Amino acid sequence: MKLSWLLLLFGLAGLAGCGRPFDIKTPPGFVELENQEPDFAYRALSPEGVVVGVRVMSLDNQGDLDFWARAVTLRMRQLNGYALLESVPVASRDGTKGTELRFGHDEGGKPYLYRIRLFLAQGRLFVVETGGSQLDMASYQKSLDWGLATVRVKCDTFVSPVLASKTCNRW
Amino acid sequence: MRCDRWVFFWALLLATGCAGAKDARSPSTSMPMEPGASYSRSMAAESNGGTRGSREGPMAAAPPPPPSQARGPADASTAPRPDSAHTGALLVYTAQMSLAVFQVAKGIAQVEALARELGGYLALRDNTRIVIRVPRGRFNDALGRIETLGDVTNRNVNAEDVTDEYVDLEIRIRNARAVRDRLQALLANASVKDALEIEKELARVTTELERMEGRLKLLRDKVAFSTITVTFQPVDTAPVRANSMLLPFPWLQQLGLSTLLSVHQ
Repeated sequence: MKLSWLLLLFGLAGLAGCGRPFDIKTPPGFVELENQEPDFAYRALSPEGVVVGVRVMSLDNQGDLDFWARAVTLRMRQLNGYALLESVPVASRDGTKGTELRFGHDEGGKPYLYRIRLFLAQGRLFVVETGGSQLDMASYQKSLDWGLATVRVKCDTFVSPVLASKTCNRW
Repeated sequence: MRCDRWVFFWALLLATGCAGAKDARSPSTSMPMEPGASYSRSMAAESNGGTRGSREGPMAAAPPPPPSQARGPADASTAPRPDSAHTGALLVYTAQMSLAVFQVAKGIAQVEALARELGGYLALRDNTRIVIRVPRGRFNDALGRIETLGDVTNRNVNAEDVTDEYVDLEIRIRNARAVRDRLQALLANASVKDALEIEKELARVTTELERMEGRLKLLRDKVAFSTITVTFQPVDTAPVRANSMLLPFPWLQQLGLSTLLSVHQ
């Protein structure tokens, strides 16, 4: 009896899953902003104006990670004039391999940093962005790194692998 | 009698012009075709005491002094040369580099410092652009070091061969000087009427001579010092170029700090 209740509870939880197809914990020192659609699926802000944002693009399996990394790099460098400072392999909390592109750009004469993490999962491209002035980004680096490390783009559970793979349930 | 003298004068002028044209490509011209030390020595000898024509005056200004005398350790005459030693070509090197817009003020200061370190100098500087001139022998070195200062998004290097123009100018200058000397000699013994004509011609020849000498000095300066323009701005998004990079995904065009940091409702 207890087991059936437990299964029912997990099943309902799986069905109740809604919202984002990813998960991220808001970094310490940041607050999550609501109603950021359609541009962002998630956005959080520090008092100094450092921002974390996540976009989700349905790709229907178009392009691989390398394609999107190069597309973003080309766009930012050639057309927007951003300096590519570094490109490093990263992984999400669920083990999905991704790429982080680190850019620099002057805004109003001040140096700013802009980090973009790209993950491909669930037929979607997850674009995790962080940006702010170089000084503020440095002061929030630990917090940002912690928040970025919490990103999940696959949410399989032993209870409802099919449903949960489409959405990271947040209950 | 006066008429005969006038005919003789013009015949002399024509003769000197033809004589000059004959040796336009002869090895005895004062501009050595071997482009190494001999040419550099020639430039150094003639540029002493001059000013930098491209910065401080019109074409008549002298080229900059040789680096060994006035510009510290970098020496254009002894440093490795970017052009081939076999062709003997006089090449004017220019480069345009676009760097990403990050830490622009620092980058510009570093480029300027680099120019001085390599024995060159600053030619122009504004908020997003700097033009430096470096000794020809340090051109490649300068390009390589600028590439380490930032993210180079575009690089364009040109080498213009000015050998023909240089040799031609030298010959024309030599001929013009000869004509000027003969005119001055004629002027000494000329009647008043002839003297007016000769002076008029002398003024024309002198003006032309100064113009050619100025051009020659400018060429020497351009050959001796390569020009590097460093611009901190996005690559020009001309339609053809932009189309090749604009993927049909609108979100790509929304990427950037301005979108991310705009959190106003």
